[in-house]
Amino acid sequence: MENSTRCHVETPHPYLDNDLKIDSYTFKYMCKLFEQIAQYWQLEMPSVGQESQLLVFIQNRIKLDLNYYIEYKNAVHVIKELCAVHGDPQGYIQLLTDPSGLITPATTPIARARQKVSNEFITLALAIGGFKTFGAKNALGYISGGNIENNVPYRVFKDV
Amino acid sequence: MTQQTDILIIGSGVAAAAIAQKILNANPLAKITMLEAGTKVKMRDFALHQNYLITGQLPYEFCQDQAYPTKDSIGENESLGPTLIPMQGSRLMMYGGSTVHWGGWSFRLKPEDFKLKTLAKSGIKALKGDYDLLDWPINYDDLEPFYCEAEHYIGVSGDSADPTVPRSTAYPYPEFPYTLEDKPSILAMKKLGIEYSHMPIARHGVSASDSPHPPCQTTGTCKYCPFGARYVAANYIDELTEFHNYPNFHLKTNAIVESLIMSDKHQVQGVTYIDKHISEHQIQTLNAKLVILAAGAIESSKLLLRSQSDHWPNGVGNDQDLVGRNLITHPYLMFEADLPDNPDGLMPEMDFPTLVSRHFDSEAEQALGKYIIVNPSASIGTRLANEMQSGKPFSVIKDEVTGKSKIQLHVLLEIFSQNRNRLFNATKRNHLGLTETAIEFDQGPDFNQRLAQIQQNMTRIFEAMGAKDTRLKTISWRADHAACTTRMSEDKYTGVVDKNLKVFDINNLFICSNASFSSLGAVNPTLTLTSLAIRLAMHLNQTVIPELEHAEQQTPSLQEEIS
Repeated sequence: MENSTRCHVETPHPYLDNDLKIDSYTFKYMCKLFEQIAQYWQLEMPSVGQESQLLVFIQNRIKLDLNYYIEYKNAVHVIKELCAVHGDPQGYIQLLTDPSGLITPATTPIARARQKVSNEFITLALAIGGFKTFGAKNALGYISGGNIENNVPYRVFKDV
Repeated sequence: MTQQTDILIIGSGVAAAAIAQKILNANPLAKITMLEAGTKVKMRDFALHQNYLITGQLPYEFCQDQAYPTKDSIGENESLGPTLIPMQGSRLMMYGGSTVHWGGWSFRLKPEDFKLKTLAKSGIKALKGDYDLLDWPINYDDLEPFYCEAEHYIGVSGDSADPTVPRSTAYPYPEFPYTLEDKPSILAMKKLGIEYSHMPIARHGVSASDSPHPPCQTTGTCKYCPFGARYVAANYIDELTEFHNYPNFHLKTNAIVESLIMSDKHQVQGVTYIDKHISEHQIQTLNAKLVILAAGAIESSKLLLRSQSDHWPNGVGNDQDLVGRNLITHPYLMFEADLPDNPDGLMPEMDFPTLVSRHFDSEAEQALGKYIIVNPSASIGTRLANEMQSGKPFSVIKDEVTGKSKIQLHVLLEIFSQNRNRLFNATKRNHLGLTETAIEFDQGPDFNQRLAQIQQNMTRIFEAMGAKDTRLKTISWRADHAACTTRMSEDKYTGVVDKNLKVFDINNLFICSNASFSSLGAVNPTLTLTSLAIRLAMHLNQTVIPELEHAEQQTPSLQEEIS
């Protein structure tokens, strides 16, 4: 579609295609952060495809807002610093639980890493199946499937 | 510059889409122009869907009204009466209209709703308010076949065996079973003898048809469905423009209709409008043989009011000072109570409700104000993401999931038209260029008493669940279901349009919006509006358009006269 005219297409977003890609160094840290989220909260994650789900998610965030490229870079710096102090992987857990990450507005690097990166990864982790740990069959964001008799994609109450 | 079309539809929501579809089905060469004041927003985009999931921000928020002005903000629109009717969030001024954000609750009115004035006449005398009630000039049986067609058009999943309202045709898709979240409400209602049923919901189901609209995948992000499984008029108009061969169907976005042009008292000639793609100020003219206002109750009424001429000095159709008056909407009541525990670990699994009770939406309640009870989709349970993001450990969250919990039920209440409750054009323009809206509204002297009666019943239900401390969490008077401002009636002294939605005394102007409802009932209006749209399109196809064509054949064309 590179040759098509797009300047009159109505959109509220200046929409990047895949022009800017996250680098493998940053992505490696993001994958580990995602794994730590799953481990810390004992989330039932899908056995395959986690990394590709995360990659698509990260690319989508950057696609809508270029600032996310910097947010992921910032998160790497924060994780490395926390790991230097608390050890690895405890530095990751520190990012997920330290109350200093919750200050609003997010004016410190750790607060940005928490609110723009790890908190978003938590929502993603739940949405791709992590919620099942807590007993539900479906959750907001989870693509659970269609309404098929005898295979309803959520917990039902059988009215008798 | 003057342009010409045959059929002009103002607006691009469900009414506009359904009318255009039905006319084009009958005549693929029909010359139809649709003018939409708002813009297009990309639908069915996975990045936008994920952004909504993560941030709660919707890509079409800029298409809403802004909040009312305050001391510190410019804001938009004017609220003049003692009861504030919020505009922000109530509608979307965009391609696809408010269907882009609607919940999809797809109720039929009940037969008694069409006879409000007759049936509530004696009971309403006991009330203190000065109400202006109307019967519809059509009855349930008149509309029933169109309800069936509308359910198929917007793709409703529902329980075809539900006896709540009579039906002649099954829903196109089976009902969504009750979620486990419905269990406390169902057990309580059973104990109290309160009827309940499956929520009819505009979500496509699984089928073997070749529909381009995919089935619901229960993603729980319905305000921006990544698949387009919930009815959104924008997707359906896309289908008209992109997948069908309708060479004379045209849509203009960013086209703000300023005024109706009357060629005489009884004939609309066309409209003036601003095409923002060309200029923010330059007036364009579009002439049409038929004009259909399908721009929602608020904008349709305002356009009539500001279309003043020697023929209609108070605005088109407004010789009786009825346009914009008798405004009603549904107060949306959110009740909450505290459950001591949540042993099933109930939590939000869906983004739409599956349980509704129309027990109090009955003839017995009509003179007091009927209401429905809905078990909302996030009625109970822990918000896992919030708890984890706050840093709580697994063991704490696990205990919270089955521990004490708040539980909610929501109520939609019918109120009655009062002539003094009205909307009209304010003086300023909003951020999209439309004239702002002024709303003058008073909830009336009977509302608080009705609210107390409802709260008593809600307390009974919550207590039957074992929940305590029932409270009214919020009342929203938001204008989502604004209606009745150009009511359908038997005559021009009590209403603005006739039973075919034609404006009294004007031969070629129709209003198809919630404005034309004679009363609103207790339920969401969209399915009824869609039924009226399909019924209007049939009337146009069968009667109005053939008459127009016949008249044209009888009249020598300008070209012939010249030659």
